Amino acid sequence: MMQKVMHMLFQPDRVETRGEILFFRIFEVVMVGWALWFGWEWGRYIPNIADVVLPLGIARFVDISFMFDHNLSIVNAGLMTAAALVGFFRLHRSGYLMLALFFHLQYVSRYSLGEISHGSNVVGLTAVALGLAYVAFREEKHSRRFALGVIIFFLGLGYTTAAMSKLIASGPLWVDGGHMWMWIQERTVDVFSKSGVVNINSFQQLVLDQYPLATAILTFGLLTELVGVLIWSPRFRPWVMTLLIAMHVGIFMSMQINFPANNAILFLLAYPWADVIDRVLGSSAPG
Amino acid sequence: MTYLNRAKKWLLGTFLVYAVLVSTNLGEFWPFSIYPMFSQAGNPWVRAVVRDVSDAEAVAISWEPASRDELLGAPFAVEPTGINQNDVANFVSKSRDWTPRRTEALRKLFHTNLAERTLLIYRVTGELGENRSISVRYEPYIVMTPDTTILHPEVTP
Repeated sequence: MMQKVMHMLFQPDRVETRGEILFFRIFEVVMVGWALWFGWEWGRYIPNIADVVLPLGIARFVDISFMFDHNLSIVNAGLMTAAALVGFFRLHRSGYLMLALFFHLQYVSRYSLGEISHGSNVVGLTAVALGLAYVAFREEKHSRRFALGVIIFFLGLGYTTAAMSKLIASGPLWVDGGHMWMWIQERTVDVFSKSGVVNINSFQQLVLDQYPLATAILTFGLLTELVGVLIWSPRFRPWVMTLLIAMHVGIFMSMQINFPANNAILFLLAYPWADVIDRVLGSSAPG
Repeated sequence: MTYLNRAKKWLLGTFLVYAVLVSTNLGEFWPFSIYPMFSQAGNPWVRAVVRDVSDAEAVAISWEPASRDELLGAPFAVEPTGINQNDVANFVSKSRDWTPRRTEALRKLFHTNLAERTLLIYRVTGELGENRSISVRYEPYIVMTPDTTILHPEVTP
C-alpha cells in the first residue's frame, strides 16, 4: 500500500517531458511570486505592530518582538527575495530552504496579533517542499518530482485532517445549518468592521432563509474535505481537486472568505497542464 | 539509494517533523497545520467594530451594550486606513491583561488615525440560542482619544 502511494506521489517510472519541465517553471514563478508578495505585504505591516498577543510557531520559543523595530521586517522581505532568486536560478541548493525559513519568521511576526492566515499555509508549504527537494536531490528531474509529490501529500492530508478535526471537536452534527448561520453572522460583523457598511449578499440571505440549504452546504464541505487524501492518486486528483475548488467558491459566496492561494494551487495541480503544453509544443519528447 | 527510496525517506522524515510540531503546538506550526479552524461549531464568537465618536460629547459615551442600530458615532471603516479588522478583533478577544504595553500597541495600530479623532471600539459577541436563534451584542469596550485611552470599567488594566 505504502509503496503504491509513493509511486503515485513521486512517479519514478514516468519519462519527464518538456511540458512537465516548463509547467514546473510556471508553477515555481506563481508560488514563489506569491510567497514574495506575502513577504513584502507583511513586511510593510509589521512595523505597525508593537506587542505579541498570541505567539505562533517559533515565536512560542523566541521573543520575536525584535522584528517590529528598525524595519527588520523589510530587511527580512529582502532576504526572502534574495533567497528566492538564489533558488529560482539554481545558484545554490539551499536557496528555497532559506526562503522557507525567512518566510516562517515573517509569518510569525505578522500574525503575532493572533489571526491564523488561511491562504498562506499552502504557499509556505510550497516553499518548504521546494527547499527540501533541492537539498535532498542532485538531479533536477528528481527535485521537481519530489517537490510536487510532497506538496500533493500535505495538501491532501491537510484537507482530510481538517474534516477529522471537525468530527472530533463537534461530531457529525457539525453540519447543522445553524452553525453556518453563526459563521455568516460573524463574517457580517467583520465586513461591517472592514467597510463600515453591513453587507449581506443575496446568496448569504438565501442560506440564512433556508436551513436545509445551510446544512447541505456544510455537509458537502465536510465530505469533500474528508476525501482530500484521494488527491494522492492521479486518477482521482482532478475530480477531488475540482470539488475542493467548488468548496472554496462556496465558502467565498456564503461567508465572504476568499482562498485565492488554495484555489490557484489546486487549479495548477488538478489538471494535466504538462500534457497540454506538450501538445502545444507538438512533442512529448524527454526534456 | 534509488530515487524512490530516497524520496520515501525524506517524506517520512518530513512527516515525523510535521507530526511532532502540530501535536505539540495546538495543531498548527506554520506552514504545517491540521487546519483546526472552524472545527468547533456553534461556539460563541468575539469580534470588534470601530466607530468614530469625535462629534459625541465625552459624557455621552455610555458603557451600556447596544444593538447594531443604536451604535454611537459614525462608521470607521478600518480597511481603507490599512488596518486589518482581524487584528482589532484579536486585541479585543485575546487580551487578558491590558498592560500599558498592550494599550500602546493598540494605539500604534491606529497610529495617525488618532491624531484628530476619538474612536470607540465595540466588543461584539455572538451566541447561538435555542431554536437556532443568534444574538449579537455590541458592548462599548475601549475609547481612544488623541492623547488618552479609556478601558471599559470592568477590564483589568
